[in-house]
Amino acid sequence: MKRKKIQRKREIGGASPKFYEVFARKTSDDPLTHVGSIEAPNDALAEVRAWYIHDEHDWRELCVVPTAAIIAVTERGRNVKIKEV
Amino acid sequence: MRFSIDGLDGATKTAFENDLFAIADTKFVLGNWYAHSIMNGRSLPDFAALTAMTGAAYGHTRSLWQYLVNFGHAYSSIERGRGADDIRSMNMLDSPPTSWPDFIAATWLAEQATWLAVSGYLTCPDRALAGLAEKIGEEAYFHLKYAEGWMEILSGSAADTRAFAAALEKRYPLALSWFGTAKGSDVLKKAGLRDIPPAKLKKAFVAEIAKGAAWTGKAVSLPDATPEIPGWIGANRRAGPLPDRLFEAIRFRDPEAAH
Repeated sequence: MKRKKIQRKREIGGASPKFYEVFARKTSDDPLTHVGSIEAPNDALAEVRAWYIHDEHDWRELCVVPTAAIIAVTERGRNVKIKEV
Repeated sequence: MRFSIDGLDGATKTAFENDLFAIADTKFVLGNWYAHSIMNGRSLPDFAALTAMTGAAYGHTRSLWQYLVNFGHAYSSIERGRGADDIRSMNMLDSPPTSWPDFIAATWLAEQATWLAVSGYLTCPDRALAGLAEKIGEEAYFHLKYAEGWMEILSGSAADTRAFAAALEKRYPLALSWFGTAKGSDVLKKAGLRDIPPAKLKKAFVAEIAKGAAWTGKAVSLPDATPEIPGWIGANRRAGPLPDRLFEAIRFRDPEAAH
């Protein structure tokens, strides 16, 4: 294989990586809870990375939401628990 | 009635065993591809994904090898006692990746082919194998998704698109050959062991790859006929032994550390 050359903007996201928030529940009775954040260049890789990185439980449900889609209401611009875009 | 491999006739039992060896050994080599490519991942999450896919591919391999013990093999001889002549992996994985687009093209083809082959056993009367097929399917979904995500990234560069298309054109015929040239039904379908004959699996493979590679536009031209490979051994679903370098990379080294 040739020497590794990474196109930072396309392959990683460059200076502005794309973040996704990961939500999960263990049983159908549990509330969907924020379990972490991941960075990925696109939705497909976000799905894969969430599955592999947040595999601490056999989740009943696991989903990702682009952080950019979240509108902060009370925490606008300060102390947010999720990464700011 | 409880399923028993011993209840199968000789030809069916041999075809069943050959098919499972072809799938398991291809996943074995594929797992080694992932393991050797981990440090070529693009970021920490990419390393994590490649590491997990390595583990999953080895897990599928070992589960299928364990199942093959039912055919009278000792597990240790399947895992550690076979030479380069005995490993029945897809010829397509014989040559190592030459670039990241080539790695994505090759692993995508191998994942798609092995998943389609395994999917034939989802309704197998042996519930152990059907359950294993279901589990492999759950995990193959993410392996295929990984390739899909990377194809989306490669599509953003004309040079990567050309490199991916060139890799696909080189490797696709070898992946297609893996399904064989049989037409119509087969002994495993007749025996009720799988519900899809290889000819239909191959058709599904052709359709999936054409659909998945559509983003390359006119950059790729895939043959629709299965090429003939000199020295093809039907039982092994491959031609010739594993290349020395590949066998050296995958051979079992340290039994003491394994269990």
